[in-house]
Amino acid sequence: MLQNLEDLKSEFTSALAEVKDRSSLVNLKADYVGKKGKLNDILKTLKDATPEVKKTLGMKSNQLKEFILGEIDKQMTALELSEINEKLKKNWQDITYRSSLRDQGLTAAGYHPVSIIQREIEEIFSSMGFEILDGPYIEDDYHNFEALNIPDTHPARDMQDTFWFQDMKHLLRTHTSCIQARGMETRTPPFKFIGPGKVFRCEATDASHEAAFHQLEGMMVGKDISVANLIYFMKTLLSEIFRKDVNVRLRPGFFPFVEPGFELDIECLICGGDGCSVCKQSGWVELLPCGMVHPNVLKHGGIDPDEYNGFAFGLGLDRLVMMRYGIDDIRHLHSGNLSFVSQFKSY
Amino acid sequence: MHISIDWIKDFVELPDMDPKDLAVRFTMATCEVEDVLTTGELLNRVKIVEITEIEDHPDSDHLHLVKFTDGKEVKQVVCGAPNVAVGKKVPFAPLGTTFAGGFTLVPKKIRGIMSEGMLCSETELEIGDDDSGLKIFEDSAPLGVSVGEYIGQKSDILLDIDNKSITHRPDLWGHYGMAREFAAVFGNPLKDQFNKEWEAKIKGWMTSEEAPVSISVEPDTCNLGFVGITMDGVTIKPSPRYMQDRLNACGMRPINNIVDISNYVMLELGIPNHIYDRTTIKGDRIIVRPAGEDKEFTTLDEVKRDLIPTDTMVCDAEGPSGIAGIMGGLDSSIADDTTGLFIEVANWKDAEVRRTSTRLGLRTDALQRYEKSLDSQLLERTLLRLVELVKESCPEAVVRGQVVRTNMPDYTPLVIDITTKRICSVLGKEISDDEIVGILKSLDFGVDNSAGSLKVTVPSYRSTKDIECDADIIEEIGRVVGYDNITPAAPLNAVNAVRLSEAKQKSRKILDFMVNRAGALEVMTYPMVGEKLLDQAYWPVKNESLVLANAMSPEASIMRPSLIPSLLQTAALNQKTYSSFRFFELGRSFLEDSKNFSNERYQLGVVSFDKKDSPFLDTANTMEELLNSLNINFRMVPGSSDRNELYPKNWEGIHPYEMLDIQIMGRSRGFVGTIHPLVCRNFKIKGQLVMAVIDLTDFQDQEMKDKTKYKPLDRFPSSLFDCTVVADAHTPVEEVVAVLKKGIKMKELDWVKVVDIFTMSDSQKSVTLRASFKDPGKTLSGEFIREAEDKVVKTLESKGFPLKV
Ligand SMILES: [Zn+2]
Repeated sequence: MLQNLEDLKSEFTSALAEVKDRSSLVNLKADYVGKKGKLNDILKTLKDATPEVKKTLGMKSNQLKEFILGEIDKQMTALELSEINEKLKKNWQDITYRSSLRDQGLTAAGYHPVSIIQREIEEIFSSMGFEILDGPYIEDDYHNFEALNIPDTHPARDMQDTFWFQDMKHLLRTHTSCIQARGMETRTPPFKFIGPGKVFRCEATDASHEAAFHQLEGMMVGKDISVANLIYFMKTLLSEIFRKDVNVRLRPGFFPFVEPGFELDIECLICGGDGCSVCKQSGWVELLPCGMVHPNVLKHGGIDPDEYNGFAFGLGLDRLVMMRYGIDDIRHLHSGNLSFVSQFKSY
Repeated sequence: MHISIDWIKDFVELPDMDPKDLAVRFTMATCEVEDVLTTGELLNRVKIVEITEIEDHPDSDHLHLVKFTDGKEVKQVVCGAPNVAVGKKVPFAPLGTTFAGGFTLVPKKIRGIMSEGMLCSETELEIGDDDSGLKIFEDSAPLGVSVGEYIGQKSDILLDIDNKSITHRPDLWGHYGMAREFAAVFGNPLKDQFNKEWEAKIKGWMTSEEAPVSISVEPDTCNLGFVGITMDGVTIKPSPRYMQDRLNACGMRPINNIVDISNYVMLELGIPNHIYDRTTIKGDRIIVRPAGEDKEFTTLDEVKRDLIPTDTMVCDAEGPSGIAGIMGGLDSSIADDTTGLFIEVANWKDAEVRRTSTRLGLRTDALQRYEKSLDSQLLERTLLRLVELVKESCPEAVVRGQVVRTNMPDYTPLVIDITTKRICSVLGKEISDDEIVGILKSLDFGVDNSAGSLKVTVPSYRSTKDIECDADIIEEIGRVVGYDNITPAAPLNAVNAVRLSEAKQKSRKILDFMVNRAGALEVMTYPMVGEKLLDQAYWPVKNESLVLANAMSPEASIMRPSLIPSLLQTAALNQKTYSSFRFFELGRSFLEDSKNFSNERYQLGVVSFDKKDSPFLDTANTMEELLNSLNINFRMVPGSSDRNELYPKNWEGIHPYEMLDIQIMGRSRGFVGTIHPLVCRNFKIKGQLVMAVIDLTDFQDQEMKDKTKYKPLDRFPSSLFDCTVVADAHTPVEEVVAVLKKGIKMKELDWVKVVDIFTMSDSQKSVTLRASFKDPGKTLSGEFIREAEDKVVKTLESKGFPLKV
C-alpha cells in the first residue's frame, strides 16, 4: 500500500511535468485527487485494513493529497502568469512616447513674471496689514500732479514725460502715486495701503526703458510717524522681498510729494558692499524713492498735517522682476510672446 | 554739472580726505555725486623731449622713425607729423597715457616697427587748436618736465553732480552755493567774501555821471528784476590760466576775457548774465517787452527762431537783442575790438522761460538755471562780481555812472515757526537745540530760539520755491545730521483686520483658475493700440476722444476699445511658433464717455488656438467652470453676431454660428466665439482660433457669496435609462435635453445628460440620452420605472425626436 502511494507520487510528478496548459492541469487534478481519482482508488482498498494501518496510511495519503493540490496550485499560477505574460508581450505600449517627446503645441501654463513678483510683494504687505488699492490708468491732471504737490509750474513736471490726451486735461498716469492721492480721499487715519499697477511714460524705449511699466506705491499714515520708523519699515520689507537681511541707507532725494524726500539705496546684494561692477564699485544700489508725506499732499487728501503724518514709497516692479530672473530686455514684458512667458510657467 | 574742488576751496576749507569719501559724504547730505574725476592727469604724464635723430620708415614714404631724449634716456617712436625736425622740443606721451577721448596708448608696432609712445599736437593735448603738426615748445623749455607743470596748469578734482538731484535747489547751480553746503556738512566756516566792505570797494569805482544806458521793463513780461552797469576802456584778450582751466573743467570753452568772465560768474554765483558790446545797443536803451509784432529772431547760434507775441524779449531802441532768459543775439556779442560794455543781470519767471525754451527746443545753461526759480535779491551781487572781475582783467577799465535797476520785486523774508521737539519727533532722533540752531545758521538761516520754539528766517535764495514749510526745515536738519545716524525703530500701529477687496479677490481667483485649471499662460499687452490694428480686426470703433496727443508711435496711439484686437495680434505672433496654445490677459479696455471722459473696463480675454481641432467646446467649458468658481449667476446661450455688448454690432470678426453669449445680471457681459476665418486671414493666422472675453467691471465689486448648501445623502438608489433618438443635424443637443426636461413633467426625474452623439448623414444625427429617476422617500418600483421610460420615449417622439431603430 505504502509503495502504491509512493508510486502514485512519482507518477503524478512526471505527469505534472508534461502539462502545458490550464485545462490539462484541471484534468490532471481530477485524475489524481478527484472523487474518482487515483488517490481515492487506493484509499478504497483501505476499507479492510487494521486500525493502525488505516491511521498510518490515512495520514500518508492526506500528505500526498496536499502535496498534489499544492503542486497543481503552484503550476496553475505559473501557467496563468506565463499566459498573461504571453499576452503582455504582444500588447504593450511604447513607454517612451511621453509628452516631452510630442508636439502637443504649447501646454505650459503660468503667471506673467510681473504677476508673480507683484503677488509675492502684495502678500508681504497683506501680512503687515496693508490694504491693496487700484486706480484708473487714465487720470486727470489733479490726481496725477496737483494733489501730489506738483503744481502747473513745478519743474518736476519736466521730469515726467507724460502721455497727454488731446484735451490736454487727461493723461495716462505717470506713477502709481495717483492711487495714493485717491486712497487718502476715502480714508481717515490711521491707515496703510499699497497701490500696484501699470504706469506710462512717454520716452524712447530700449532694453531698459518701456513706455508702459509697473510700480507699487505704498503709504502709511498715522500719529507721530518718524524717519526712524520709515528706515525700520523699509529694512524689514526689503529683507522679506530679497529673502535675506539687507542694509539700507537714505540720502536726500527730491520728489515733490514727500518732504524730507529720500533715495533709498540697498547694500549691493552681489558683492555685499565691497564694491563690484553692478554697484559701480560703490557697494550701494539705488533702489527706490521714499519720504515723509508732504504736508500739502496730506492736505489735498483731507488730512490735517499737524495731527497726522506718514511715509510713502514707490517700488519699480519691473526692475525687481528683471533682477530676480536676470531678464535682459524690459520690452519682453509687454510683448505677448509666449516663448517668453512660458519660461515662467507653473507647470 | 561739474563742481571744481579747487574752486570750492576759494570759499571754504575742506577736510583732508580721499575725494571719493568726500563725494559719498556729500551725496548723503546734499546731492548725488555720480563720479569723481581728476583733471590735468594727461598733461602731468606728457613730458617735454628733444628730437635727436630722424630716419625714414623703411616701409612708408610719409612715416619717420624719430629718436628723442628727455635728458636721461633715448626713446624711439614712429611719427608722421610734417613738422618733425631734429633739435625741436616737443611733447611726448609714454605708453599708458589716456587721451581725452578715452583712448589709451598700448605697445604697438606701426608698419613693423615698435613705437614707444606718441609725440603730440596741441589738439591732442587740448592745449590749443593747432592740429597741423607737433606742438613745438620754445627752445628754452626744460627737458623731462611735464607739460602741465611747464604751462602752469593745476590738477583739479571734479565732482560730477547729477543735475536731477538739484532741480529743486537753484542755489546749488554755482560754486559759491555748493561751498556753503560743504561748509555746513563739514562744519567749517564759509568765507564771507561778498560782504559789505567788498561791496563798498566796487561801488567806489562808480561815478556820479548819469548812466549811459537806460533800462525799462514794459508790462506783461516775465521779468523779475533787471540791473545793469556800463564800463568803458576794456581790452579784449585771453583770460588767465586759472579761469580757463576752471571753465574747461566745467565744460565751457574759454573765448576771451569778457565772455569768460560772464560764464565764470554764472558758474560761481549761479546767476546767468549778459555782457553787451555797448556800441551795439541802439539808442542806448534797453527795453524788456513782449515780442508782440516781432515774428522771428536769430539767436547767437545763428538759428532763426519763430516767436510768439507773449515771448519776452530784451530789446534796444530798434529791436530785439535777445530772448529773455534763454539766448542773446549774434549782434550784441563781444568782438575783438570791443572797448565799451553794458553788463546785464536779470531774473525771469521760471515757468514762462521754460515754456518758451521747450517750444523753441532750445535749452541753454542760462535757461537751465532760470527754470529753477532764481532769487532776484542776488542780481546786484552778481553784477558787482562781474565788475570786479572785469576790473581785475583790465585795471585800466572804468565804470560809468551807477548801477541801474528796474522792476525789482518786493521781498519779505519767509519765517517758519517750528519747535525742536517736532524736528526730533519727525526724524525719530534726539538732537540738541544747540546742534539744530548751529546747522540752520551754517546754512545761512536766521534763527530766533525761545526755549525750543524756533522762528526760522529762510534765506531769500532758498525761499523762491525750495523751502516753504516746516517739513523743509526738518529735512535741512536731517540731511546734515545724516540719515544714517538715525537708529531704525519699529512703528507703533493699531491692529485692524484688512481683507482684500472683492475685485482683488476675484482677479486673483481668475488668475489662479486660468493658470491652474484652464492651463493657460498669462500675457500682458499694451493698452494702447494703433488704427491699423483696429482695421485689421474689422473694428469700427476708433475711440476718437481717447487718442494720445504725443504718442510714441501710431501703433500705440489709441486707448484700445477692446482687448480683442490685442489678443488677435498676440495670437498671430505666437501661431508661427506653436501648433496650439492657450493664453489670457486680465487687462483693461476703454470706452469713450462724454461725462467722465473715459470708462475703463476690466476684462478677461482668453485665446485658445489649435492648428487642427477646434478648441471651442473646451474653451466654453472652461469659461463655464470659471464663472461657477466665482459664484456668479450666468447663462450661456447661443448668440448671434449682432447683439453682444463686447463687440461692435454686426462685427464681421466672429463665426456666425459658433458663438455663445455669456449673460450676467441680464446683460451680455461676455462671449465665447470662434474667430471668423476672414479675420484670421487678415492676421495670417492658420488654424482654429477661439476667443472668450468677459467684462468684469460691473460685477467685480459684488461679494462672491458661497451658495453651497448641504443636502442629506440619498437613501434610496436612483434608476438610469438610456435611449437613442434621431435629430436634425444642426439641432443643438441642448434643445433635445430641454425638450425632455420640460416635456416630461415628473418630479422623480433627477437629471438628463447626453451620452453620445453620432452623425448618421449630412442631415441627421443620433443622440443617446441618459435620464436618471429617483424618489427621496422610497425605492422606485419596476412598474414605475417602465412607465417612466415609456414616457421619456413618448415625450421625445412627440417633439420630433423619434427613437432610433
Ligand atoms: Zn556690488
